[in-house]
Amino acid sequence: MEKNLTHIALFAALIAVLGLVPKIDLAAGVPITAQSMGIMLCGTVLGAKRGALAVLLFLALVAIGLPLLSGGRGGLGVFAGPSVGYLIGFPIAAFVAGLIVERWQASIGVSAFVGAVVGGIVVLYAFGIPGMALVMQKSLPEATTLATAFLPGDLIKSVLAALITQGIARMRPEALLSRT
Amino acid sequence: MLTLTSEVPIWAHRLPAGVKLAVLAVVTMALFRLQGPLPMAMAFAAVAALTLTGGPRFARQAAAMLRPLWPFVVLVGAWHLITRDLAGGAEVILRMATAVAAANFVTMTTRLSDMQRVLEWLCRPLAPLGLPPARMALALALVIRFIPVLSDRAGQIAAAWRARSPRRPGWRMVAPLTAAALDDATHVADALRARGGSV
Amino acid sequence: MPQADTITLTEASVTLAGRPVLHSLSLTLTEARIGIVGRNGSGKTTLMRLLAGLIAPTSGTVRLGDIDPAKDRKAMLSRLGILFQNPDHQILFPTVAEELSFGLRQMGLPAPEVAARVRATLAAEGREHWHDAPCHHLSQGQRQYLCLLAVLMMEPQTILLDEPFAGLDLPTQARLARRLAALPQRLITISHDPEAVAACDRVIWLEAGRIRQDGPADTLLAAFRTAMTDLGAQDADADL
Repeated sequence: MEKNLTHIALFAALIAVLGLVPKIDLAAGVPITAQSMGIMLCGTVLGAKRGALAVLLFLALVAIGLPLLSGGRGGLGVFAGPSVGYLIGFPIAAFVAGLIVERWQASIGVSAFVGAVVGGIVVLYAFGIPGMALVMQKSLPEATTLATAFLPGDLIKSVLAALITQGIARMRPEALLSRT
Repeated sequence: MLTLTSEVPIWAHRLPAGVKLAVLAVVTMALFRLQGPLPMAMAFAAVAALTLTGGPRFARQAAAMLRPLWPFVVLVGAWHLITRDLAGGAEVILRMATAVAAANFVTMTTRLSDMQRVLEWLCRPLAPLGLPPARMALALALVIRFIPVLSDRAGQIAAAWRARSPRRPGWRMVAPLTAAALDDATHVADALRARGGSV
Repeated sequence: MPQADTITLTEASVTLAGRPVLHSLSLTLTEARIGIVGRNGSGKTTLMRLLAGLIAPTSGTVRLGDIDPAKDRKAMLSRLGILFQNPDHQILFPTVAEELSFGLRQMGLPAPEVAARVRATLAAEGREHWHDAPCHHLSQGQRQYLCLLAVLMMEPQTILLDEPFAGLDLPTQARLARRLAALPQRLITISHDPEAVAACDRVIWLEAGRIRQDGPADTLLAAFRTAMTDLGAQDADADL
């Protein structure tokens, strides 16, 4: 029981720290933040339930006023801004990513990649786009067009999240709670 | 840990957190019902006036917290310029800025511990589902405690990388950092157990 | 301080992830100052976790008095405290007062009494200004000291110390050693450094999960030092 609690707490802290580390330069020189990779990792490493709880805990700290979102954003304002859908989608994205890794016993790299794509992109966008459409008062197709700007970066993050999950499976097989 | 609560004390700091949050919820809902650029401009002016009652330093901090909205403002502005619907664009931008500024106002005038108390109160219905408030409080404390610890670890990993490579570590830092989080979680579970931490 | 209960291991073995780490250890621990030495990977830390009840033996039994440490966690709290090697793994809370309060609250003391005790302890140590300080702002030595205070406040009969002096500068080591020596509790010190256990009544030398030697500090540590120096002199040590 303590182990569940500490894993959830440490991964909530990990999401925060991934938002603090300077932006990561992709080969093309396009900067991306590692934070949404943290959301994917919560699911693929901790599994559905613990991963979603870790993300919820992180969001709770953001809501009560800690500037933990990448770029030092936080507080209640972010839940009134255009990213609100993404924030609501975060825990569900982690849950779905975790569920796929737990249920689909393919090789860990493959199922983590699929989990990251389905959870961290499909599910996340399904919440993020309507949120953006609502706050910016655009139609869903218009908001979708905007969101696709982030698609290449998020695909790369899915690959990286899968590689990292695979690395954890090798380094700390017993710690990969999504598969134990 | 740095919080977004303003250290400039203003009258609103003294209001109970629950009241501020309840008012904010009503205001936010009203903002999304309200139509037309003129009423929206008045709403924005009202929140701006509210913020200005905190004095110039408080207002500057509040303005800085709106900065992340710029890309969206530019985007919506450009969009409506193209569609030649400037009134509509102004309405959208004002609504967005007003909603965010109002929420930021509550964050800036409420201490972390008070917010935490409201959060625990809101989560009370979850207690029968296995999330008693004490567990919640412990989890929040653990995260606040371990953000600086993990952040130091990230610094050490980056330093160890740079000591042996001319390139910046970039995303390659994330794997050892995740492993460190897993290791810490195991150790902390021991420490928790050693002191009777099955809340 | 009541007499510390005897710790008894009866053919206790531990296997972790399919790998045997401790092999059928039988020990009766009654002395006030006990040292456990061994090389890295000898199973010292696993033995500590076993004694503390953080893990259960794979076979055999561990008893503190008549308590099973892994089962009766509540009874263990007032009987055995642990000072972990890395204070950052032990400190659970953002501020000093919260950290010191936690164990006492877990022991079921009411919040006002805990708050009063925390203030009294910090005052007695001349550290009132630490009360609201973020733990993260303390130095490594101060954090170690905070961990010790947190353990002492629970008034256990026995304290396990895992490499208590690792990472501390010399004056801090000396201060901590003096502080520990004056404690009425039974101390079990685990270290790879013979210096750290030189003042013990009894030292146990662990090697590859078995007891290599068990006896008074002076003769045992002389043999331990010789063995370690010999090992260190060998080149191309395959298990380095």
